[in-house]
Amino acid sequence: MTATTTPEATFGVLPRADGSARYSHAGYTVTGSVNGPIEAQRREEHAYEAHVDVVVRPAAGHGGTRERHLESVLQSSLAQIILVKSFPRSLIQIVLQVENSPENDYVNTKLVQASLNFGIMPALMQTAVLALLSAGVPMRATATGTAVAIMHQDGAKQTMVDPSPRDIEKARSVHVLAFTSQDELLLAESEGDFTVKEWDLVYETARGICCRSRPQAKEGMAMLLDDESTGGPDMRQFLRSTMESKVAADLHWK
Amino acid sequence: MSNDRPLVLPGETIDLSLIPSHPKNPLRLGPGLRHIPPSDIVPTAAGELITNPVKNSMWVEYNSNRYIPSQNDIILAQILRSTSDFYLCSLAPHTPPATLPHLAFEGATKKTRPVLLPGQLVYARVSLANAHMDPELECVHASTGKADGLGPITGTGCIFDVSLGFARRLLMARPAQDGGLAVLEMLGGEEGGGMAFETAVGRNGRVWVGSASARTVVVVGRALQETDRGRLGVEGQRRLVKKLVREMS
Repeated sequence: MTATTTPEATFGVLPRADGSARYSHAGYTVTGSVNGPIEAQRREEHAYEAHVDVVVRPAAGHGGTRERHLESVLQSSLAQIILVKSFPRSLIQIVLQVENSPENDYVNTKLVQASLNFGIMPALMQTAVLALLSAGVPMRATATGTAVAIMHQDGAKQTMVDPSPRDIEKARSVHVLAFTSQDELLLAESEGDFTVKEWDLVYETARGICCRSRPQAKEGMAMLLDDESTGGPDMRQFLRSTMESKVAADLHWK
Repeated sequence: MSNDRPLVLPGETIDLSLIPSHPKNPLRLGPGLRHIPPSDIVPTAAGELITNPVKNSMWVEYNSNRYIPSQNDIILAQILRSTSDFYLCSLAPHTPPATLPHLAFEGATKKTRPVLLPGQLVYARVSLANAHMDPELECVHASTGKADGLGPITGTGCIFDVSLGFARRLLMARPAQDGGLAVLEMLGGEEGGGMAFETAVGRNGRVWVGSASARTVVVVGRALQETDRGRLGVEGQRRLVKKLVREMS
């Protein structure tokens, strides 16, 4: 399976949902739908804020402990960027259906102890954000995410952006980071053995991918940063250009 | 995308030069923007930032499907049931019901109040929209006591769902000039063979089409929905109207 290097997204793939998006990057394809704010069931109702409900459906079979864990991680991150306080007693439902993953890693999962599936987390995160934007759910900020692995090859350390499942198996440690559009760290999950120094390196790499400044606003320091090749796609520019084409299509009559 | 209507994403900072300033009028913020005291104005939705220096207002123009009630919106509501003092109405699927007091109709008193059955449609204004309370509707102007076209919808017709941006375009004072929307004029004009119908457009993405002939209702409703989903321009609308009229006759 060939992994795509540039992320791709389409909007409005599910016409009945309030908002939907299909996102594919690094071999993963995820379709997400967002409905809300809608009436929450009694047990999910919060008196002062909206309940964000994330459902992750794997490419094959039923979701298990792994999916529940992914959901809880995504739920706490997304509740930070959605303006939940504006919609008390309501529900914002996000369903993420994995359509394609680079390797059929749902084989033999029953035998393995539940652990995070790091490769897919940035794709799920990005799909959720795009679907939320498509639904017009009021948000505090947008978010971009990426996965970084640290490999040890011939005694030298190497960071690897968007690792494949095979790379994750070989990697010493794997990290998933997401940043809001205000350059704040939104999500940081790590697995494996690593030092604080290594984590700092991962942080800088992920920050370079997620928080690259906009081309028209580049001056001085930003220019210098731009010169170093961080590798990997510029996620913020991707988000902006996809939204630009979506808004232009929606407002074609202007 | 032109420079005076820039794209904004949630949480982005708005260039100060874009914010209109007027010596007397207060700044009015429309949908898609929020004010964080003391002086930050931050977008909450992705869309084009529109500013009006004359009215000293600004808002984010975007399209969506889920209606969030806001005060003074004109909406089409469906009666769900009646309680002792008010009707419970639905504005959008899966949302908490809105309340419509029995006395919020033109000329209604405790003795003479309109009797509405579940399923009936009312054209109403949102009189109260608050995050912590269910929305409240009225079919009468609170100060003048006149209905101004609001009230229960009578006559044979059918309701059609469209996107919120499309409903807003239909509600414009001059949809053909400002919204690029001439489909209704065409259906009633020579392209549509002079069909006779009436419409009521709700800001909540619902359009009621009424006519004595069921054929006309279906043609008009389909024309509206296909214009919305196909994002048709004026020329596309003309072709669509001609095609529908040919198919249905």
